[in-house]
Amino acid sequence: MTNSIPEIRDAELLFVIGSNTTEAHPIIAMEMKRAVKNGAKLIVADPRAIWLSNIADLHLQLQPGTDVALLNAMAHVIITEGLVDQAFVQQHTVGFDTIVDATRETTPEWAEGITGVPADDIRTAARLYATTKHAGIYYTLGITEHTHGTDNVYSLANLVLMTGHLGVRSAGMNPLRGQNNVQGANDAGASPVFYPGYQRVDDPAAQARFEGAWGVDLSPDPGMNLNVMMKAMATGDIKGMYVMGEDIVLSEPNASKVEQGLNSIEFLVVQDIFHNETTRFADVVLPAACFAEKDGVFTNSDRRVQRVRKAVEPPGEARADWEILCDLARRVGYPMPEYADPGEVYSEMAGLCDKFAGISHDRINAEGGLQWPCPAPEHPGTQYLHGDGPLKGKAEFQATAYRPSEELPDEDYPLLLSTGRTLYHYNAATQTRRSSGAMARQPRNFIEMHRRDAKIRGLEDGELVRVRSRRGEVLAAVNVSPRMKRGCVWMPLHFPDSNTNRLTNDAGDPTTQTAEYKVCAVVIEKLRAAAK
Amino acid sequence: MHSGRTCRGGRFTLSDIKLTVDGEAVVVPAGSTVLDATRKLGRSVPTLCHDDRVDPMGSCRMCLVEIEGQRRLQPGCAFKASDGMVVSTSSDRVQQHRQLLLSMYMSDHAIDADGLPTERGVGNRLRSHVLEHGHGPTLPAIEAPRGYRDEPNPYIHFDAEACVLCNLCVRYCDEVEAVSAITLAGRGAGTTIATADQQGLLDSSCELCGGCIAVCPTGAMTEKPSRANDYREAEKVRTTCNFCGVGCQLDLHVQDDRVVRVTSPDPGTTVNDGNLCIKGRFSYEFIHHDERIMQPLVRGRDGNLWPATWDHALDVAAKGLLGVKARHGADALGFVSSSRCTGEENYLMQKLSRAAFGTNNCHQCAAT
Repeated sequence: MTNSIPEIRDAELLFVIGSNTTEAHPIIAMEMKRAVKNGAKLIVADPRAIWLSNIADLHLQLQPGTDVALLNAMAHVIITEGLVDQAFVQQHTVGFDTIVDATRETTPEWAEGITGVPADDIRTAARLYATTKHAGIYYTLGITEHTHGTDNVYSLANLVLMTGHLGVRSAGMNPLRGQNNVQGANDAGASPVFYPGYQRVDDPAAQARFEGAWGVDLSPDPGMNLNVMMKAMATGDIKGMYVMGEDIVLSEPNASKVEQGLNSIEFLVVQDIFHNETTRFADVVLPAACFAEKDGVFTNSDRRVQRVRKAVEPPGEARADWEILCDLARRVGYPMPEYADPGEVYSEMAGLCDKFAGISHDRINAEGGLQWPCPAPEHPGTQYLHGDGPLKGKAEFQATAYRPSEELPDEDYPLLLSTGRTLYHYNAATQTRRSSGAMARQPRNFIEMHRRDAKIRGLEDGELVRVRSRRGEVLAAVNVSPRMKRGCVWMPLHFPDSNTNRLTNDAGDPTTQTAEYKVCAVVIEKLRAAAK
Repeated sequence: MHSGRTCRGGRFTLSDIKLTVDGEAVVVPAGSTVLDATRKLGRSVPTLCHDDRVDPMGSCRMCLVEIEGQRRLQPGCAFKASDGMVVSTSSDRVQQHRQLLLSMYMSDHAIDADGLPTERGVGNRLRSHVLEHGHGPTLPAIEAPRGYRDEPNPYIHFDAEACVLCNLCVRYCDEVEAVSAITLAGRGAGTTIATADQQGLLDSSCELCGGCIAVCPTGAMTEKPSRANDYREAEKVRTTCNFCGVGCQLDLHVQDDRVVRVTSPDPGTTVNDGNLCIKGRFSYEFIHHDERIMQPLVRGRDGNLWPATWDHALDVAAKGLLGVKARHGADALGFVSSSRCTGEENYLMQKLSRAAFGTNNCHQCAAT
């Protein structure tokens, strides 16, 4: 997030796109509800009539995967109606002409044909966004989990830049991080292209810095990202895996292919707190401590580094992940230092990263969470980014063009499936499936659909059906829902006995390889009919 | 981080207000209430129905203060401060009012053997107000015919006897969580907290955030799983929630090496402003679940996973990974780190991948 969570309540306009905030980020949604109560305008762009759309001034119920068309039409309106912040564009950006060219033909009427959103609503949204000073964009995986996820993000960034909604309190570009420490994991260099602190592995200066610190030669070749690794197991390019704290069979797309890959590799270590779909394939299972049983930090969506503190002992012989990793490194002959506690690990990392150089466990203990960039011990941290103009000097516009999603409905697979998280469960749900309230509310997998789509198939609410895609099939209960558009269905990803990711498409975005969890084609089969 | 009552984000400034509280001068921003001013001076004005996150209601009458020029005592939470105002928070008249009011509340509240409002393991502000301010004459107990039935939701217990009908839970549910699942129902002494049409909470719009429990001043709303645990005996450990990316701060209540309750730090102090969702507040059963993996496992020749010592398991893991590297090269190894684990652990995983094995094939579920 370029802004901070406490700034949300003071916004004058919230543009929420591809984020079901009340379910995926309930406490941020509370801030949004408060902003609306304080008089902020709310624009929601989502294929489903999510909770927030009930209190929105405008709900743009677009067809899944058509975000670029919608956003470029908004850009078209802003440019043609003279709503561009010329001073900001001239002072802080480059490449605006490319956007003018790229959006010349992307009229709201053109976009209406693709997105299904009325052209006038697109105009209204564009005008409201452009003419409100404290206007913030909030998005999450509904934007990124597409084969054009990068284009979606660029298109949003173009809107931010042409309206100058950056470097201002309560106005900016705010990806809401899906998990407790996605931000921190990336910050710490759990990335195939970055060392800690976003220093590129193919930058010789960065390589030299880390070689010096760690006392070994390092590879300058960027590695594979997760989606690529999953595919590489099946092709034989990956032969051994070490998986910590993720159920890749349940979480990664095209689960059957992941299983095939896990079956074909030579060696698998899984380190986790519960048995899951992935431990079934493991050669070694290492029992880990959960968050309440260890020390460290998590970094949240607004770049706030906060403490995790040990409250209870791990069960049985389970140990903290950091201790296991250090032990294993020593076993394979690498002299990992004898860290007394995770605070010393953090200090080692902070010493190698300018962005976090001023952060330490001691400081967080004394002052509470610190938001990076925080380059020195006396630096207070950074509430919102780009306050003195874009951090990199000039921000670059990136022209985008609408491309359809990889796999769209056809005669054989007539429904468009999107997937996501619910309020009650959390991802692979090893934790929430052991929660009585979550199970009271959502005990099994379901498929949300429009009542007409249910009716023409003769399906009753609650009926168990078979959902099939080109990659696999699962059973799920029909959930007739007023939230859905016709032709679109939606499923959560929380249930190992009905793994929605057997259906999803592992086609990736060309830049990030992030898979298209939000769009694939499925068919629903009535069970009784299928039994005939 | 405080309420949005003042000017938005400080983008424009209104003139400050000067007033006197108990003979002491105080300056507060325009829009402040008398209660804000008394708090700024550190005066202890008792409240029941007030919370900075919801609009003031002034219904409990606990915070009445004397204001020069006002014929009646006025609720500090709802009465706006103004320039030159002279406020008294502890005059005889205010004290007399408080004691009589507390007597009235006590006549409609469960009383323990010590003659004090009953403590229910989560704190009872009515009790602490009585201890601090005393009470007036003992009034006949009201036999409240309050509608109440235990209901099957797993988390939220409502004890009508402890309720003072301050309506704070209902306002929180309306204004902050904004799902309007509960409401005041009934009339007179039979008034109670209920759902629309008396359905169970699980059949209502309730999202089980537990905010009603957190704001309840008297312990009428409590957590079913931890009703037997007295909050005064638990040690609190401040930590960060392990679910989504908001980074809510949690206080884990620990007794006998078990997490027995989770609460939020006070409103206005952390990023979550006193709020939590169902997952943060209630989904901690997994921590002490008997299906946790308790010991290392190594796959045997029979194809099953068998318990092993750490020494053996780490040895097998190290040899297996080194074997792959020896046969196929470092880039045939993949390291999946975790956005569920700590920053330090992610740092160590990528260091293991890069420094110990020599590959950049290290990633985590950032894109999942």
